[in-house]
Amino acid sequence: MAPLTGWLIDLYPNETDLALWLLADSGERLLLRMDFPITFYAAGDFSALRQAWRFLRDKGVILARETRRDLFTGERTVLAATVPRPASLPELFAELSAAFPALDYYDADVPLPLRFAARTGGGLLGRCRIDATGNRVAAIEALDSPWELDPQPIPLRVLELSPDVDPALRPPGRLRVKYGRVDYTISLEPFQSFEIALHATIHQFDPDLILSDYGDTWLLPRLTFNPNRDPAKDVLSRKAESYFAYGQVVYRGSQVYLFGRWHIDRKNAMLFGEYGLEGVLEQARVTGLGVQEMARKSPGAGITAMQMLTALRTGVLVPVVKQQAESAKTLDELIRADKGGMIYQPLIGVHEHVAQIDFASMYPSIMVNFNISPEKKGPALSGATIGSEVEGLIPQTLRPLLEKRLALKRRLAELDPRDCRAKSLKARAAALKWLLVVCFGYLGYKNARFGKIESHEAVTSISRELLLQAKETAEELGFTVLHMYIDCLFVQKPGCEQAADFSPLLAAIEQQTGIPIALEGVYRWVAFLPSKRDKRIPVPNRYFGVFLDGEIKYRGIELRRHDTPPFVAKVQLAVLQCLAGAKTLAQVQDYIPKAREIVEHSNRELRAGRVPLEDLVITQRLSRDVNAYKFPSPAARAARQWIDAGKSVAPGQVMRFVFTRGKPGVWAAGVGELDERTVDVGRYIRLSESAAGTIWGALIELIKMVTDGFHL
Amino acid sequence: MGRTLPTITQQLSDTEAALVRFRRTLRKSDQYIFDGLFAAARCHTAAISQMDALLPFEAALLAILLEQAKEIAILRQKLETLDGSTHRLAD
Repeated sequence: MAPLTGWLIDLYPNETDLALWLLADSGERLLLRMDFPITFYAAGDFSALRQAWRFLRDKGVILARETRRDLFTGERTVLAATVPRPASLPELFAELSAAFPALDYYDADVPLPLRFAARTGGGLLGRCRIDATGNRVAAIEALDSPWELDPQPIPLRVLELSPDVDPALRPPGRLRVKYGRVDYTISLEPFQSFEIALHATIHQFDPDLILSDYGDTWLLPRLTFNPNRDPAKDVLSRKAESYFAYGQVVYRGSQVYLFGRWHIDRKNAMLFGEYGLEGVLEQARVTGLGVQEMARKSPGAGITAMQMLTALRTGVLVPVVKQQAESAKTLDELIRADKGGMIYQPLIGVHEHVAQIDFASMYPSIMVNFNISPEKKGPALSGATIGSEVEGLIPQTLRPLLEKRLALKRRLAELDPRDCRAKSLKARAAALKWLLVVCFGYLGYKNARFGKIESHEAVTSISRELLLQAKETAEELGFTVLHMYIDCLFVQKPGCEQAADFSPLLAAIEQQTGIPIALEGVYRWVAFLPSKRDKRIPVPNRYFGVFLDGEIKYRGIELRRHDTPPFVAKVQLAVLQCLAGAKTLAQVQDYIPKAREIVEHSNRELRAGRVPLEDLVITQRLSRDVNAYKFPSPAARAARQWIDAGKSVAPGQVMRFVFTRGKPGVWAAGVGELDERTVDVGRYIRLSESAAGTIWGALIELIKMVTDGFHL
Repeated sequence: MGRTLPTITQQLSDTEAALVRFRRTLRKSDQYIFDGLFAAARCHTAAISQMDALLPFEAALLAILLEQAKEIAILRQKLETLDGSTHRLAD
């Protein structure tokens, strides 16, 4: 049989071996099989190892004694256990680790696509050439790499399914079906006919990707037919769960995974709104994790996967649990080390002709340039041994990622913003950015397998030093530094008004620090807001401003908050956009009457009941169990209504509700119908006026400060 | 997130909380000025944090003094400008 070429789109274990799906260049979707024995390792006390040996021998596992490298402790004698059937590993490992909990285990829980990538050099979404006998793979060769800037696009067949309304608000009546040029809706009633129609569509069109809204939580769990391409597999459902991450409780809805084709629920996918399908594909490609996993998991899972792959490729063991604790420190050392990035206090006020300059991917650049990796000790962490040592596991993982992102951004900068390729490049660069962003956090994360808090601290320490160097460089060149925030600076200098005026500064900072720095933009004006509590106190990262091209940027105001209802956010944005029309600060006053009219108009619309209900919905996360609230927040009161209506609620779950008059003051979305006459119009008006006031109130006051102020 | 020690902002708030009876005894007009001292310290939390001090209040006092010195310098500038204009008027 002639070799097959195409894209590898799915792989998973079946009863005896590995199933591979190839989207062949011929257009066929082929199911292939491949022998794929898996090896994992155990190490530790010799007598326990002997017992484990006997335990495994009786289960038909192939055993050997080997020497392998642990990242932190170096060469180690290990028991290598090879399982012929990949599907049997999870159960076998669960039994083994329960019987011998004191042993250290390695490589036992590495996701299958990563093992595949490490062994064959090819990976999911990559192009490959396969020699096969019948449907059995004899040899496989990768034809491209995840780091290619212009990979040949995969000719995916995408089927989009979306209900006419959020099922949490009311039961949907129709489902919109879109594929190719076909676009129609089908009625959900009667359900049996609906299923027949949908099944026929899936069968006929044979999509590679089902891109749904609410498919995880609503549509797919209801289907009685098997939507898989591989009919031998059942749909894989994962239950909803609450977990604690980044200082808050997170709720993840149930998930439905398919085999042979993918399912992504846009409403249950992490950061889908941020970078879309293009970004998900990019992340899936570079992490090797697969599309369905990557769409639903945090970028942290992606970066962990990449670290595992580096470890597998370089012969380093992947520990099942983290073994490195924080080293003992004196109080003095702790005070020195336990600090985050540099957060400066801005000069309160509105400033004209301000440039914002950002270090590009500062933390990952530091890790790569200074070779920061958890296995490095002492002086390496202070950056004293730059370039003189073998590159650590983390820099090795990050370098191609960082270079690819910078290359995409460079290409983006060369393109006309209206170019049709710009959107895709932007999405891909954003997807890579998220992986880079979380990589730093994972150095310090308590469960990260390749993390150590000291390397995390080394990064922030170097970043503070670099930011100070940037500040000094700017000041030497006569700039005033208005604000600094972790990896960016806001600078101003009389006479510097256009982008080009700041180029010498960028070059000087880059030369001094060795980290690329770029101009985010030049503001016509930017307002740094004071604290709400005391107007004399500056607040970092709370500002809004207008760039030269009229684009606006804002941080820390109501618009950025997730729990601001869309009605209020829209009013605030409209006010800001209106004032952004002013070319100079002196003109801002002239625009204020128009801004006031915007607010009054929207208030009239609200009073007349012409604002859509969706715009009044507030989205708030439950930070704890409903019964644990001493003074129930509106979200908790909404949750209480859900419980009373017989629905279940978990901490971390996002509640959606509308403010109503009287008690309990909220209407929880999904609990009966809302009587729209009970909407607390006054409260929404107060919220929107206060949000609008954040903009113009601050502007008027701050402009006054500038005009009658003296500055040193 | 993930920090063991309180931040400078937290430590300043703790100090302020410890002084609550002191503040309460002040006249209302003085309370406003007193709050201004802490506001002045809060303009320099980044610098205070760089000191790596076990008790950062000393550095906070320096920050307060710094803001006062700045205020004086600005007032002096204003005075000189005013003086200049009165002289011109007299001429």
